[in-house]
Amino acid sequence: MGRVRHLPLEHPGVADHRSPLRFLWWLIRGQWRTLVMAMLFGIVWMVSQAVMPAVIGLAIDEGIAARDTDALLRWSLTLLGIGLVQAAAGTMRHRFSVTNWLTAAYRTVQLVARQATDLGATLPKRVATGEVVSIGTNDLAHLGNAMDIVARAAGAVVSFLVVAVILLTTSTTLGLVVLIGVPVLLLAVGPLLKPLQRRNLAQREMMGELANLATDIVSGLRVLRGIGGERVFHDRYVRESQEVRQAGVAVGRLQSVLDALQILLPGIFVVVVVWLGARFAVQGQISAGELVAFYGYAAFLMIPLRTATEFANKWIRAFVAAGRVVRVLALRPEVSAPDSPYAEPPVGAELVDVRSGLRVPAYQITAIVSDPPEDSTRLADRLGYYAEGEVRWGEVPLSGLRPEVVRRRIVVSDSDSALFSGVLADQVDIRGRGPGSLDSALHTASAEDVLEALPDGMATMVTERGRSFSGGQRQRLVLARALAADPEILVLVEPTSAVDAHTEARIADRLRAHRAGRTTVVTTTSPLLLDRVDNVAFLRDGVVVAFGTHRDLMREVAHYRHLVTREELSEEEAAGV
Amino acid sequence: MSAAAPTILPVATGAQVRRYAVRLLRKYPRATSLALSLHALAALAALAGPRLLGDLVEDVEQGTTIGRVNTVIAVLAAFLLAQTVLTRFARYLSFTLGERVLAELREDFVQNSLALPVGVVESAGSGDLLTRTSRDVEQLGWSVRWALPEWTIAVLTAALTFVAAIAVGWWVAIPCLLGVPPLVIGLRWYLRRAKDGYLRENASYAAISASLTETVEGARTVEALGLQDHRLRRVDADISESFAAERYTLFLRTVFFPSVEVAYLIPTVATLLFGGYLYTQGAVSLGDVTAATLYVQMLIDPVDRIVSILDELQVGAASLARLLGVAHVPDDREATGRRPDGEQIEARDVRFAYSPGRDVLHSVDMSVGVGERIAMVGPSGAGKSTLGRLLAGIHPPRTGAVTVGGVGLTELPLAELRGHVALVTQEHHVFVGTLRENLALAVDGRADDSRLLAALEAVDAREWVEALPDGLDTVVGSGGRALGAAQAQQLALARLVLADPHTLVLDEATSLIDPRAARHLERSLAAVLHGRTVIAIAHRLFSAHDADRVAVVENGEITEFGTHEELVDRSGSYAKLWSSWHGS
Repeated sequence: MGRVRHLPLEHPGVADHRSPLRFLWWLIRGQWRTLVMAMLFGIVWMVSQAVMPAVIGLAIDEGIAARDTDALLRWSLTLLGIGLVQAAAGTMRHRFSVTNWLTAAYRTVQLVARQATDLGATLPKRVATGEVVSIGTNDLAHLGNAMDIVARAAGAVVSFLVVAVILLTTSTTLGLVVLIGVPVLLLAVGPLLKPLQRRNLAQREMMGELANLATDIVSGLRVLRGIGGERVFHDRYVRESQEVRQAGVAVGRLQSVLDALQILLPGIFVVVVVWLGARFAVQGQISAGELVAFYGYAAFLMIPLRTATEFANKWIRAFVAAGRVVRVLALRPEVSAPDSPYAEPPVGAELVDVRSGLRVPAYQITAIVSDPPEDSTRLADRLGYYAEGEVRWGEVPLSGLRPEVVRRRIVVSDSDSALFSGVLADQVDIRGRGPGSLDSALHTASAEDVLEALPDGMATMVTERGRSFSGGQRQRLVLARALAADPEILVLVEPTSAVDAHTEARIADRLRAHRAGRTTVVTTTSPLLLDRVDNVAFLRDGVVVAFGTHRDLMREVAHYRHLVTREELSEEEAAGV
Repeated sequence: MSAAAPTILPVATGAQVRRYAVRLLRKYPRATSLALSLHALAALAALAGPRLLGDLVEDVEQGTTIGRVNTVIAVLAAFLLAQTVLTRFARYLSFTLGERVLAELREDFVQNSLALPVGVVESAGSGDLLTRTSRDVEQLGWSVRWALPEWTIAVLTAALTFVAAIAVGWWVAIPCLLGVPPLVIGLRWYLRRAKDGYLRENASYAAISASLTETVEGARTVEALGLQDHRLRRVDADISESFAAERYTLFLRTVFFPSVEVAYLIPTVATLLFGGYLYTQGAVSLGDVTAATLYVQMLIDPVDRIVSILDELQVGAASLARLLGVAHVPDDREATGRRPDGEQIEARDVRFAYSPGRDVLHSVDMSVGVGERIAMVGPSGAGKSTLGRLLAGIHPPRTGAVTVGGVGLTELPLAELRGHVALVTQEHHVFVGTLRENLALAVDGRADDSRLLAALEAVDAREWVEALPDGLDTVVGSGGRALGAAQAQQLALARLVLADPHTLVLDEATSLIDPRAARHLERSLAAVLHGRTVIAIAHRLFSAHDADRVAVVENGEITEFGTHEELVDRSGSYAKLWSSWHGS
């Protein structure tokens, strides 16, 4: 049996991404053995199909017409033998082709996944996520198809030649009719294909829009059932659905002509071949059996032809797909390792952002409050070396360290942090620190109630992007994950913006004990949190203008007070009106 | 918000699917029978070829003239032409019919989805329904457009070809029947396993795509937390699963393909042998043997299509069952016809559980005066959202009663309930369409611009809407102008203002709006809603401070209930929180 390569490969290898063609060639080189096997079986499979009419013709001539039972039995058994060879070769061809399809598709996915993790924060800045995602949904199939069709294409070419030679040796006229007629027929359908593709594309686009509308309705069903508007949306859906139907009928009008032509054109070919053959037969140039065989060849030849068209279509698509893959693979990370990295700073080294003047005291919790608020996020990005900026860590600049050192020792957990699918315990305890540290992280993040609501607790499978959790639940799990990682320096961006006041106060109370002996930076404007940290740095227009405890700043810095408890001021104003 | 037990929507039974399919086809008896007759005629025209070729062979053997050959070929050409024309119209008719049936199916599905009980919509989430909307509608489109007509035509063609073969002589049936056992055995074996195999395969590709999407969208998080190996292991695990699924279906085909190939081969060989034997016995003519052999070969193509489309149809039927299932969700409301007397909202001894035996509310009592503004605060998971849903009439309580004007909320028909109570949660949705359409849905599409703008003003959104180049005509939603979460929440609130119910339940309805802006919004909203009852679940303390009364919900109970001042004086959990927040 055709041995199937074990997939996925341990490592997909290093792809040649200089051009789409080179990438396709790289894929081919990586699986040339199975490709060659698939082609060999493809040739045996198609050629056995091609010679069957000849065998039937011989059985009729030498067996039946000659009333020779031995010859009839011999040729019938030959037919059976060729049929069995065809079945076996076809199955093997299929097995190798599936292997080829899978190898190309899986390798591409592995390459793209590895590239995505290598690029990290650079990826979303350089390429639309949709573009990468479509590699995983569409392009892998196009690349697989290109590898799959190779076997049948090889069979098609060889079998076409075999039939042409048989016909030419029987009759030059017939041979030429086949060799010239078949490609001409193929081209005859051509003019119809373009408008059909156009209409197909138009309908598919409309179907896509209709599907989006349905998705939109379902996603907003709460709103529609809660407040009303079902009728409006139903009417709109029916309207678009009927438009899609009209477009479908327009496709059908053309498609039905094409379907009819697919009967007419090969039919004409068969009629011509049979007509010529019958004339030769009447003149005694060929036998009755050969006439039957001609009929069979004429019908068979349509298969290699269709395969040739399919081959062209699939390779054009694969080329486009390869272009997309190559574009992603060619990207390089923004932050790269310096040529001669500095030695790591010692534990407890002070982190200093030169631009804002922020000094992060070691082993304490420092909160950042900014006006305008976006400055806090920028500062957090600099501290984690996601953005260029002059940040010193002890004696060395962050940019002088190897990126993996910075990532290991400084963790930034921002408000857009993603939760991934998988077993909850694995998703939260990412550094494998064990159940004890996991429990305490969940406790600090006040996420125990999230667990209680889950049927399988920490063994629960998290759905894609943690969608089954509410915003507040997700935020607390993300916080617990950052705490469980237990890095030397942890930068939390708005860690409690989506949780209620009760819970926020509880988290703030527990954070200090949890981070004892570690350095923590947190950006926030919540008084509940600010009141429970060691220091608060207040930034105006990106520069630290005050540093101290929350209570001191409340007392001494009017602008800070105004910002943090804006509500209070506006209330007084409101009372004054 | 606590995670509600997921309710999986029902799937229609086989009998329900069959009944629906029959009813659908009976609706178009003329189109259906016309399409079938045309296809039958086209198939008949195709059967002329082998017979005429058989005659030619016979004539050649007996000796004939070129003129005779020309006549036969002319007849052959005429049949070909007839087959072409008939096929054209038969195909066109079945395309038209398919599109019509498909449109009806999807429109029915959307209508049924729009009629889903509001309690189911709130607690089931949209995941299950979304899958049905995208995957099943598409799968069914494929089946109705392509698989079903192809299959029907193949059955028709195979039947007629078989009849034509039998017409050559009854003896042809014997070689044909020889092919049946391997075909039937192989097919039964395969079909029993194929559907699950291919569903698993499809699911595995969905998983690969999802993992890749997650990795790409969360690329920064992957880098920040050093999750590279985690993600790669995950993708490789998904590929392994996909490979296992592929190997299984490949195994199925490795067994199945040879068995059908043999089933196709045996009849051809047997016809030649048996026909040849009969010819030597003088029982049949050479033309008969030729025609019979060609007919038997012609059978292969339609039979192969019947066989290979069957699993496609299985999958299509499963999709249809899921789409029809949406129509079979029982309504959870029972309209009793009682009319509320006034707008007083009251909860008495309310207990509630999502799953039996696990009450999340324990004997809650709450009486809300008409026009009163209540704030509900408390830790997450305490049951605030659940109580909010009960007060909005989404779910009936397990014990006790939630009433408006003395009538249970779930006794009111949905359309009437909306006039009394409406719920807005933090889960917002912006529909694809103009801002005007997004707002007007609350008043069934009828509202003049001044009313819409007034509603926007009440939620502090008029300014940014009017600043847009196209104003109310701006296209928003997926693919349109992107709105921030805060703006989306403002739209949701503006809809509520337009719907203008007597009582509003707001579940964290301003949570995504900047805290400093939120307070202003809540105040201007309060001014517009003057005289309306408002129950607001809030996670910011200023919302509580501004309310008439504050209810503290803890562990499924109301532990404190009173004005802000009363609660601060009581020095309970609310007072503690307030002093911390206030910085005193």
